[in-house]
Amino acid sequence: MIEALPLVLDALSFVLILVLVASGLVIVFGMMGIINLAHGELFLLGAYTVVVAQGLGVPFWLAALLAPVVVGVIGLAIEFLVIRFIVHRPLDTILATWGLSIAIKQLVVLGFGPGSHSVALPLAGAVTVGAFTYPAYRIVLMVVAAAVIAGTGFVLVRTRFGLLARAVIARPGTAASLGINTGAVNRTSFAIGAGLAGLAGALVAPLISVDPQMGLGFLVPAFLAILVGGASSMTGLLAGSGLVGGLDRFLGGWISPVLAQITVFVMAILVIRMRPGGLFPGRRGRP
Amino acid sequence: MIRRDFSGSLAVAVLLVLVLVPVLGSGYWTGQATRYVVFGMFAMSLSLVWGRTGILTFGHAVSFGIGGYLMASLTMGLFGNEGLFDLLARPWVALVIAVTGAALAAGALGWFLFWGRGVSGAYLAIITLSVAVIVEQALRGLYSLGGDNGLVGVPALGPWAADPLDPAPMYYAVLIFAVAVYLGLDRLLRTRIGAVLTAVRTNPDRLAHFGYSVFAVRLGSFILGAAIAGLAGALFVATDGFASPSLIGFGLSAEVLIWVALGGRSILLAAFLGAVAVRLAEAFLSGVFGDFWLLALGVGFMASVVLLPQGLIATPIEWLNRRWAQGGQGNKSNSRDAPGPASDGKV
Repeated sequence: MIEALPLVLDALSFVLILVLVASGLVIVFGMMGIINLAHGELFLLGAYTVVVAQGLGVPFWLAALLAPVVVGVIGLAIEFLVIRFIVHRPLDTILATWGLSIAIKQLVVLGFGPGSHSVALPLAGAVTVGAFTYPAYRIVLMVVAAAVIAGTGFVLVRTRFGLLARAVIARPGTAASLGINTGAVNRTSFAIGAGLAGLAGALVAPLISVDPQMGLGFLVPAFLAILVGGASSMTGLLAGSGLVGGLDRFLGGWISPVLAQITVFVMAILVIRMRPGGLFPGRRGRP
Repeated sequence: MIRRDFSGSLAVAVLLVLVLVPVLGSGYWTGQATRYVVFGMFAMSLSLVWGRTGILTFGHAVSFGIGGYLMASLTMGLFGNEGLFDLLARPWVALVIAVTGAALAAGALGWFLFWGRGVSGAYLAIITLSVAVIVEQALRGLYSLGGDNGLVGVPALGPWAADPLDPAPMYYAVLIFAVAVYLGLDRLLRTRIGAVLTAVRTNPDRLAHFGYSVFAVRLGSFILGAAIAGLAGALFVATDGFASPSLIGFGLSAEVLIWVALGGRSILLAAFLGAVAVRLAEAFLSGVFGDFWLLALGVGFMASVVLLPQGLIATPIEWLNRRWAQGGQGNKSNSRDAPGPASDGKV
């Protein structure tokens, strides 16, 4: 049992990273229906915000708070400049955001070079429980991830903004005729989704090597996770991330990581094909 | 065979230019042009699958790569040289196998994707994207097919194989294939089948109501597109002498989408020209702009999708098509018996 514990905790930590990355997708894709292939690059920008902040001597936790704001503002700009023109052409959003993803990636290459950067671990210590020690930062990450999901759910269900956002997403025409500024609400929703991606990038940065190509490696599993779980529910987000991320790491312990990834992708495709609504389909416009 | 409207004339003009490339250009540019024409053919196959039938796939290069790898492994005698394999190692036989293999693989994948209610839209995009990633990953780990390094030393096609210093014969062979694909598809799309393919994109429910099987139409288009992509892949490795995992994965799949979207998804010639234009621009501009080239491509692609969804080349072609049609209406309306498919390709 105790030998399996590192594997379990490693899998758990990957699952939580996936949950963080995918939580922005739940809003942008699951609820708004925008297939944002640049989501991985928003995640990337969050990580680079921390890299820049570290270079300037800003403490990590302040940078981690700054990252969602920076990326959220970028998201606001993206919605204003691109998304709002094509929101009625869902398939074209796939193409346009793909172009955007290429452009952001290349901007990062131009600004920071193609090489990888590393972010110092903000909490070096470890927590010891019985015979087992575990890095303290990962435990903090788990807590933060849980808080982010709870917070997102709270904002969407309990606040006035959440109500407006869900109204606009579920019935744009009715919402507009009731005097809601649908454009502004959509922009804010998209910015929140982008900000969550930025937060995920910032928090994950100390655990991985930050390079301009890292977005795609998280984008595909994140999309598969929310499609498997159910694109517009928080339960689905957790279940999907748990299945995709957990299986990937568990299988990776037995077979090669590449083979594990292939197996997980194939299984995810099968689930998506058999249950297009995902395992826990939410209602449209509801978290 | 060629329509007497603007796009017909443009097709003839493009063909003339392409025929003259080896005469006017150096051997290097003839070699490059061979690749451009192959990519143009690949782009036309995506124009059929996506632009006409509405199947937005992020894994079209899987067919290209299957064609390429079958061609490479068979002609290099990777499975042995005895008996049957000696026959299969002949480039022309291998070419047929490559096309068939790509078609069969697409048949299996298409069956899985389209049966029942089928997947479409975002789901189709994400699933095909994942399939492309899976296939590329698998191939990179498959050492019997060269792994990361790919397969080097693929023999050239046909009786003109020997002379690597004269790329012109191979170029013309590829050009003949491309012209055949263009004429064949152009012809096909102007028949009833072309109308059915348009219908499956614009209004599948109504098509089903008329007694057509949406599943069969989608699958058929997917298989035909894959067969052409497989042909392009096989010709590509025979030209390049090299098959690598980058031919089969997500990268090339996304690239071909960009060519076709920039050129114009609903017009074959525009898709072809989109591929050629982007590759040409890359050859010239990546030297001048360096790292800024990819940035410009990304931004340009995004801008084109937002502002000119029909494509940068197809939009003027359609406009000129209409102008020519209006100009011809007055004096020789009897010579224009049927409107071209270009005019119905808009949603």
